[in-house]
Amino acid sequence: MSWAQAILLARSLSRGWAGVRGAALKGAPVSQVSPLALRGLHGSAATHSSDSSLVPRPPEPTRRPAKAQAPHEELFGQAPGGAREKASFVQAVQDFTRHNVHRRGHVDFIYLALSKMRQYGVERDLAVYNLLLDIFPKEVFRPRNIIQRIFLHYPRQQECGIAVLEQMENHGVMPNQETEFLLIQIFGRKSYPMLKFLRMRLWFSRFKNVNPFPMPRDLPQDPVDLATLGLRHMEPDLSARVTIYQMPLPSDSTGAPDPTQPHIVGIQSPEQQAALACHSPARPIFVEGPFSLWLRDKCVYYHILRADLLPPEEREVEETPEEWNLYYPMQLDLDYGRSAWDDYTFDIDEVEEGPVFAMCMAGAHDQATLAKWIQGLQETNPALARIPVIFRLAGSTGELLAASPGLEEPPLPPQGQEEESDSLHRQQQGQS
Amino acid sequence: MALVPKLLTGIYGLRKCQMPSAVSCLFLDPRFAGYCSSSLQKPAAAPNQALDRQGQSERALRSPHQREAALDIPSPDEKPEVSFDKAIQDEIKDHFRRLKDEFVNHWIGPEGRPLHEVMLEQAKVVWQFRGKEDLDKWVVTSDKTIGGRSEVFLKMGKNNQSALLYGNLSSEAPLDGDSGRSGYCAMISRVPRGPFERKKSYDWSQFNTLYLRVRGDGRPWMVNLREDTDLIQKHSQMYSYFMFTRGGPYWQEVKIPFSKFFLSNQGRIRDAQFQLLPDKISSIGLTLADKVDGPFFLEIDFIGVFTDPAHTEEFAYENSPALNPRLFR
Repeated sequence: MSWAQAILLARSLSRGWAGVRGAALKGAPVSQVSPLALRGLHGSAATHSSDSSLVPRPPEPTRRPAKAQAPHEELFGQAPGGAREKASFVQAVQDFTRHNVHRRGHVDFIYLALSKMRQYGVERDLAVYNLLLDIFPKEVFRPRNIIQRIFLHYPRQQECGIAVLEQMENHGVMPNQETEFLLIQIFGRKSYPMLKFLRMRLWFSRFKNVNPFPMPRDLPQDPVDLATLGLRHMEPDLSARVTIYQMPLPSDSTGAPDPTQPHIVGIQSPEQQAALACHSPARPIFVEGPFSLWLRDKCVYYHILRADLLPPEEREVEETPEEWNLYYPMQLDLDYGRSAWDDYTFDIDEVEEGPVFAMCMAGAHDQATLAKWIQGLQETNPALARIPVIFRLAGSTGELLAASPGLEEPPLPPQGQEEESDSLHRQQQGQS
Repeated sequence: MALVPKLLTGIYGLRKCQMPSAVSCLFLDPRFAGYCSSSLQKPAAAPNQALDRQGQSERALRSPHQREAALDIPSPDEKPEVSFDKAIQDEIKDHFRRLKDEFVNHWIGPEGRPLHEVMLEQAKVVWQFRGKEDLDKWVVTSDKTIGGRSEVFLKMGKNNQSALLYGNLSSEAPLDGDSGRSGYCAMISRVPRGPFERKKSYDWSQFNTLYLRVRGDGRPWMVNLREDTDLIQKHSQMYSYFMFTRGGPYWQEVKIPFSKFFLSNQGRIRDAQFQLLPDKISSIGLTLADKVDGPFFLEIDFIGVFTDPAHTEEFAYENSPALNPRLFR
């Protein structure tokens, strides 16, 4: 700082301190001290300028925005029409590199870009991450001698590199060779970002196929397709058939789905069909729901058609006669091959629940929609016409979702929520 | 990668204080003032083992009174009469009884069962959920301990045949200037205790697979096993593996061999991997931290261990010389 600047600063400082002390002695309220002091510290305001200050004047405190804007924030606000897309994001990044050959403040810019990625919808795009890593100046942060290698060379930049890779890891983006080359160029082979990259490469490839029920990364947007995917995901029987009982009406200009015609998609396997056919009409079956199912980050709701468990005395094990199939035995009793030592069964009675006959996913969770599902099911299961159906719909969110403390027992059959179906084909049976 | 709940002191909700709380005030830490157990709902508690075991012993002591008190609210006039001396005496008698049991059991065989039964066992149920006392063996945590917004509750399911772990996950980061992300819920089993609150461990060296019968909602969970160790450095280490639930109304059997568990330290996978030695397991935990906000539930029927004769793998992960050159010198 030159001597002239120093003298001016000292003069304004003394004026400022005098102003503060003067205000305190006069008993002025505290809120008035700071603007006075500031004005005094940094030279006078535009109203009375006795000497031109060489120190840049900050804006008035009243005009300062409540939240300080991050540096380079304006680069992200330049999109035409505010379109938040990959193109505008890439444009902002390229603007920074173009106007800033020496990459001043690249660390702050990269942190800002990382926080903005979700808004622009590019958080799972590997090319964008490579572009962000490209912002770093190359060959500058590589350690050149042993002392630089011992100590963490350019720690802030290494932390920033690790932050980029950490966000990649959080969103499950696998880095590629370009990332590796960039990291070697920027930080060198023995740096922490390179170490993190090695770990990501190793563990991501190890855990890539660890999910026994894989779900595609991009879920379908169409609700009918999503319902089909969800039902197939839940049903372990591969021979189950998915039936669409009702398609939603084609969307109008408003784009909102028609509330009077939500989609209804159901699934039923041949075994369930057979079980429903032999279900005795004396016992009612229940439509329960809605239960929640999470597909990646989307939550869908489904209903099930199930019956209560038969009491032990009424259960009969159906035995297929040996002549049913002459080519191979339908029932194999292989336990005689094991000795008395081997016993892999658990010493506990497993939870037994009644059989499930069908599942469905519908756009609405009210009884009218589900009644349409039952009617659709009747076409493939004519036995359903004689069985009474009771709707046990637990509210709009389902009893499992409503975290009501103290709710111990499940809703008993004769409760306010359930109603008996009033179709002409069904017989009126007594309530259990 | 799993987020391990930080071992900070949790926020204990002050419940209705009755006479036993005076006992607890004198008997335990001042932090426990007013902490009464409720048999209806599992409160979120910090997984601090030292505090939990005292709470557990107190709860076991006071359980006959408290269970009845929880069901019907007593009038303010009548207070259950508990004397401090009697409580201490009961506690000491209980511990000596446990000590006597341990000596007697040692003669019969490991853990009181005859040796041939233990050696020939191939499937063992370790935790089942058939009553309220089974829920007391578990602690439920969420990121509320670090200031997050997730909630988690544990209660008995339908017909007392299963346990239901449900709640709401919120990945909103706490505004404490330190944590950048948040959002986890966990259910951890309590460490088994012997006489005088000595830590015991499970010995599963006969078995090679963990078996869980669960019914989830499609969310991915993580199963964590912690070893019983005296080394302080190992207290933050645990073995984990994923448990993917299918969702749907059918019960799902999850079998995870012990060879698949990877070693992690302070919530991050370690470079130097070693296989899980199942002879001193102290606790198991189920964590949900899949960064998706929303309600969740998990119904558990039972958790057991068994020997899978078809599984011959010793350890699933080999160490890489790029990450760990010292292991390959």
